[in-house]
Amino acid sequence: MFTEELKAFRRLGFRHVLLQVLNFASVIASGLMIWKGLGLITNTESPIVVVLSGSMEPAFYRGDLLFLTNPPHERYHTGDITVYKIPGADIPIVHRVMETHDVSSPVKISGLDLKVPGEQLILTKGDNNHIDDIELYQGLDWLERKHIVGKVRGFLPYVGYVTIAMNDFPQLKYALLGILGLLALIQRE
Amino acid sequence: MHSFFTRINNVSALLSSCTMALLAAITIASLLQEAIFPPQINGQISMKPVKVFNAKTPRQRRKQEMGFLNFNMTADLTPLFTWNTKQLFLSLEAEYENAQGVNNSIVLWDRIVRRPEDARVNVVGAKNKYAFKEIGGKGFSKGAAGTASYALKYNLMPYVGMLRYGEAARLSDVSFDVREEL
Repeated sequence: MFTEELKAFRRLGFRHVLLQVLNFASVIASGLMIWKGLGLITNTESPIVVVLSGSMEPAFYRGDLLFLTNPPHERYHTGDITVYKIPGADIPIVHRVMETHDVSSPVKISGLDLKVPGEQLILTKGDNNHIDDIELYQGLDWLERKHIVGKVRGFLPYVGYVTIAMNDFPQLKYALLGILGLLALIQRE
Repeated sequence: MHSFFTRINNVSALLSSCTMALLAAITIASLLQEAIFPPQINGQISMKPVKVFNAKTPRQRRKQEMGFLNFNMTADLTPLFTWNTKQLFLSLEAEYENAQGVNNSIVLWDRIVRRPEDARVNVVGAKNKYAFKEIGGKGFSKGAAGTASYALKYNLMPYVGMLRYGEAARLSDVSFDVREEL
């Protein structure tokens, strides 16, 4: 089946194979640069996330793509939709801010270290949940600025479903990678 | 030149660039529409002084001072429903500064509006959906400053594009009426 391609390889030589690999690597490298550059501009570690659960329906369904920013000195307001990560749990959660408490002079809140001006305590809740997220906080009473990955600015529907499908069906991911690798190697243009 | 692979390659490249261009055009058109024709929203909130007494939600162990609202609210939000509006998220928020200098903003009531027919909000005698607790632990009488402001805020979620936030109504200087336990 591949005899034709193998003959073509032998004709073009080893140098050609190296060139193909270099092309492949530069495509991957530029993709990574764009991703990381976007993360620097928006000041968040993952500027584009996919909605994983149905807790924000009917606003966001599973598979929607969200664009985040995380301005370093801007405070978060109630009603903002934030993506946060609890230390100890790796999944980002997309919920809306229900309460904010902004410290303007140093104050001691029970259970926390001394809070200085500029810090915020935040409570969140998913639109589709009846109760707030206290049980998701794994022991914390409030979220702080450092737990929040970013604030949702805009969104695209359905586009992210590919990543969810690839997570749920790992064979799909391997098949896709295999096909892409094969195409990259055997194409001569 | 006309092999199967190149045809698929070209068609899918054209499809994805056209889709992205369309989505960008929708986003920009919505932004321009909002900038050129900003929607004028008027709303009214009225409430009596907020009653405060000791109570407990089912998830707490001890009673603490909680605020109980009873408010009326009207607002006409139909100008916000454009061709690109998926839903509106309305929330009634209390804003106050307590005696420890902490600025608090608490959502006490919310509603999701999905159709323009439901966009005329007329609420009478409503109560807060979520518990109104004071973070300082000293309660409203000793911890909170004298009065709070209540604002009706909306969040417009489009089919494609940027999220928008705004305020529809505001009522300032509502005091707390602290009562003994019944």
